[in-house]
Amino acid sequence: MLADQPLLDLGWIGAHAGDIALRTLQHLGLGAMALAVGFAVAFALAMMAAGRPRLLAPLITGAGVVYTIPSLALFAALVPFTGLSLLTAEIPLVLYTQLVLIRGISAGFAAAPPEVLEAADGLGYTRRQRFLAVELPIAIPLIVAAVRLASVSTIGLVMVVTLIGNNFGGLGLYIKEGIASFFPTKVYVGAALSVSLALASDFALARLERRLAPWAESHRDVQPGASAALAGLDPIGA
Amino acid sequence: MSAVATGTPTRAAAGITLEHVTRRYGAGPGGRIAVDDLSLEIPAGQVCVLVGPSGCGKTTTLKMINRLIAPTSGRVLIDGVDAASRHLVDLRRSIGYVIQHVGLFPHLTVAENVATVPRLLGWSPARQRERTDELLALVGLDPAVDRDRYPARLSGGERQRVGVARALAADPPVLLMDEPFGAVDPIVRARLQDEFLRLQEGLARTIVFVTHDIDEAIKVGDCIAVLGVGGRLAQFGSPAEILAAPASDFVARFVGADRGLKRLSLRLVGDLDLRAASEVRPLPPMAPMLDRSTSLKDALSMLLDAGVQAGAVVDDAGAVTGLVTIDMIAASLRRSAEGAPDAG
Ligand SMILES: Nc1ncnc2c1ncn2[C@@H]1O[C@H](COP(=O)(O)OP(=O)(O)OP(=O)(O)O)[C@@H](O)[C@H]1O
Ligand SMILES: [Mg+2]
Repeated sequence: MLADQPLLDLGWIGAHAGDIALRTLQHLGLGAMALAVGFAVAFALAMMAAGRPRLLAPLITGAGVVYTIPSLALFAALVPFTGLSLLTAEIPLVLYTQLVLIRGISAGFAAAPPEVLEAADGLGYTRRQRFLAVELPIAIPLIVAAVRLASVSTIGLVMVVTLIGNNFGGLGLYIKEGIASFFPTKVYVGAALSVSLALASDFALARLERRLAPWAESHRDVQPGASAALAGLDPIGA
Repeated sequence: MSAVATGTPTRAAAGITLEHVTRRYGAGPGGRIAVDDLSLEIPAGQVCVLVGPSGCGKTTTLKMINRLIAPTSGRVLIDGVDAASRHLVDLRRSIGYVIQHVGLFPHLTVAENVATVPRLLGWSPARQRERTDELLALVGLDPAVDRDRYPARLSGGERQRVGVARALAADPPVLLMDEPFGAVDPIVRARLQDEFLRLQEGLARTIVFVTHDIDEAIKVGDCIAVLGVGGRLAQFGSPAEILAAPASDFVARFVGADRGLKRLSLRLVGDLDLRAASEVRPLPPMAPMLDRSTSLKDALSMLLDAGVQAGAVVDDAGAVTGLVTIDMIAASLRRSAEGAPDAG
């Protein structure tokens, strides 16, 4: 049905560059907000559960259950309560980040080898100094890896959100409009920019990790874009 | 903050006393005793070595001194003050600690690892850097090359040396060293032991040194505590005392069947009354040349190796000043076994 149109109408793209940029920024903004709130929540939960496996296990199970709810169903279920507001968009986005983030941040907090903690205690770090100057820095590679994964899947999910509500803008709108008006250019522009955003954020976070944890051996093996490829295997956008 | 902050190497060392210290893991009949009623008096400025088989409580004993582990009963006194009454963090910053598994901070460079305690004590960056470079050179690393490397890129032996440098950084009056030279090859190990002894001569810290290598214990220790299975003290004394008169079969087995030879390694050619060179003339053509600082063990080995009865003792200029014979070496061993005080 889209076949009678040119696949890519460059003229349209040129004429709507401003609009495209705006929707890309909206898309990024929705994703970044969800990621920031999701990170804060997951970090607090992981801190609370640090060294308490009996608290951590149910947390991760809970986040896992949430993760299995189809995103469209979750959005639809929220509409009666929160309408087509920003909250309806952000609540599922934040919830979906929790499994990956809580697991990654907790793994980070547990990453310092026992002999390193013993050395820190033995040399006279206070508990607080030990957490801030030893445990936290050692956790960074695993935390950043989790954030990379969460950022890629969140940007994909924002597509779904913006398919539902017109109020948020974002690139999903192009998909919807493109299909409705038999105009494939919009579909391709929306999809290509969403993928580019995911790749760019993954790349930027990989760079950040290299700066924050220059000592880590592992980041040399993980190419930027690797978590994008991984998240692509995730069924969560469905 | 404590006196450690000054870092002056002239500060007096502190004596360590363990009073009936017991540590038990797990309560009731299922519990096991790691250290059993251990009492030790380690004089200030001495190296006391804890030796014993694996699992006899050496590490547990060390950790009770810096309070990483609390004794189930008994007291640890440092400089006469109950360690349990000291401010925990101050206490630990005043005790250098080389842990058994090194435990370098993976996210910090070699220099940052070494400067850990100075940083905690708030030294200026310039002073930290100066001290770090000094210590790296001391343990045989090249500050220019190694200071900015990360632990993951170091060999096991290099890491261990960084661990020793880190423990020495704030020049603590007390040092706890848990198998500090365990991961290096015998040649580097011997060099580090020599370095360690040279260093200790100048600074005279109180050091508790853990090893399961009896030869290392004899070489570096002023006193040796042999611990047995179940964390019980089997014998406490100078290396010479323990070699000459093991208190039990366990100690005798632990120090080894060659303890006579080990005793010879504690004495030097210069300790003997040398016979005048004129007494045996001419010297056999194969006679080895020894100097006064050769150990009797090495001297005996050289004589046996050369297949001769006597060797020549030469001074720095190479002039023969006396003779050593196999009989003299054997006699010195007999004399010290009959109760004459042995030179440690
Ligand atoms: N946290 C613990 N819980 C229970 N038992 C422990 C614990 N730590 C040590 N032990 C036990 O206490 C005993 C003494 O352990 P320790 O580590 O002091 O031995 P060690 O002499 O240092 O041995 P090694 O030479 O192998 O290092 C061992 O039997 C060990 O199994
Ligand atoms: Mg041990």
